[in-house]
Amino acid sequence: MFSAIARIFRTPDLRKKIGFTLGIIALFRLGSFIPAPFVDFGNVQLCLAANQGTSGLYELVNLFSGGALLQLSVFALGIMPYITASIIVQLLRVVIPHFDTLYKEGASGQSTLTQYTRYLTIALGILQSTTLITVARSGALFGTSASTECTQLITNDAWYAIMLMVITMTAGTGVIMWMGELVTERGVGNGMSLLIFTSIAALFPGSLSAIGQQQGADTLIIVLIVGVLVVAGVVFVEQSQRRVPVQYAKRMVGRRTYGGNNTYIPIKVNMAGVIPVIFASSLLYLPALLAQFNQPAAGQEAPAWVVWISNNLTGGDQPLYMAMYFLLIIGFTYFYVAITFNPEEVADNMKKYGGFIPGIRAGRPTAEYLDFVLTRITLPGSIYLGLIALIPLIAFSVIGADQNFPFGGASILIVVGVGLETVKQIDSQLQQRHYEGLLK
Amino acid sequence: MVWALESRPPCFERFRVEILQVVMQVLVGITSLLLTMLILLHKGRGGGLSDMFGGGVTSNLGASGVAERNLNRITIILGLLWISCIVVLGLITKFDTGA
Repeated sequence: MFSAIARIFRTPDLRKKIGFTLGIIALFRLGSFIPAPFVDFGNVQLCLAANQGTSGLYELVNLFSGGALLQLSVFALGIMPYITASIIVQLLRVVIPHFDTLYKEGASGQSTLTQYTRYLTIALGILQSTTLITVARSGALFGTSASTECTQLITNDAWYAIMLMVITMTAGTGVIMWMGELVTERGVGNGMSLLIFTSIAALFPGSLSAIGQQQGADTLIIVLIVGVLVVAGVVFVEQSQRRVPVQYAKRMVGRRTYGGNNTYIPIKVNMAGVIPVIFASSLLYLPALLAQFNQPAAGQEAPAWVVWISNNLTGGDQPLYMAMYFLLIIGFTYFYVAITFNPEEVADNMKKYGGFIPGIRAGRPTAEYLDFVLTRITLPGSIYLGLIALIPLIAFSVIGADQNFPFGGASILIVVGVGLETVKQIDSQLQQRHYEGLLK
Repeated sequence: MVWALESRPPCFERFRVEILQVVMQVLVGITSLLLTMLILLHKGRGGGLSDMFGGGVTSNLGASGVAERNLNRITIILGLLWISCIVVLGLITKFDTGA
């Protein structure tokens, strides 16, 4: 193991790639601390210290931006617009036939799709930065019960100042996107996911020390143990897959023989990854957002439905919220698996190259069989996703830690998933030169 | 020289800071717009969401040509300009409100 790590740094090519990746990550973190123009840095820091641990509207988004959002930094939006844009483009494939033909076209069509995603990212960046700055200007960024410092986050209220902030944050979003692409191109692993990984991991030490200070060392130890167990479980499930055997018929082309070998189609238990969790939590933010907008002026009664929403649908400790979260995740898992894995396409491809699943006829029966296997294996996968997402909501409301605790939900899935992928890529790079990699 | 600087009327000093501020604001605006455009000009290599959270290995088709390399260089220079303008603007705001 350690000799393998030493070998990474002795391979010049790999050393360069890892160095590049680390450099980009450092730049990304540095940018998260540079405040955007016209932001009152002192007031922002005061508010952050005062509101630590209380749940605001932007928790999840703040998590994905590594805490940069609430600091109103240049990179405040983080990687979020790009994620949203890719999800939208991916979903539009179902709705717009043009997108689907582009996707099936192969590399050139897919690069066109990527280009659309990039344009959409910038558009979303403009939209989200405008929203963020409007909220910050109205003083509601840190919740309605904030002190006077929190309502004066922006030093200049003029229209050109607001415009300038929007433009700057949008450019920041673009820069992040570019940095991610650079890492994908010249570094190790997938750049975008590494940047999300960085943002989430950056919040770990802070929230751990907060728990240690507020609840004492024994709670901290319990939390750490639970965290390690959860990580082990997630790694186990992420790696588990069902292998559907495929036999290829032997073909003679000229004097060469092709095929005739046994392979398998790997069907992962959790094929959808973290995306269902992200979908479900962003959908569940809508009611809270609605309630926020319909907050009555001081001294007036709130409408009954607003009270109902804030009593039932805003916090992680409310049963209705948990149930809806769980069900939404299961639904979205099936939905997303249906989008990403098309049994008919796979069956068609297999038929074309003379492959078949032993005991099942090629063509439609194969597609039906694959669909059956996929549907069956997705059930435990989706329940697993739902449970993982509920861990912080249940376990830590028992202990009393705040609900966006890092060891659970979307963050743990992302961190483990990205970590595994990156290690695998380094490993395959190592194996190009030596027989042994990092993983045995 | 030091004496000369100190003897200037404070309103003049204030005026100079304001000019610098306006120049920096304009610069930040222009560089932000240009930077966004330049980044959109790059060829996307994101690969989309499917390989973002565990998927196949992205194949890097086509080496970057001369145009792409020049574009990279320009983008980096512009990015440095952009970030330094923002930092200067932030410093001005800080000392302005502090003083």
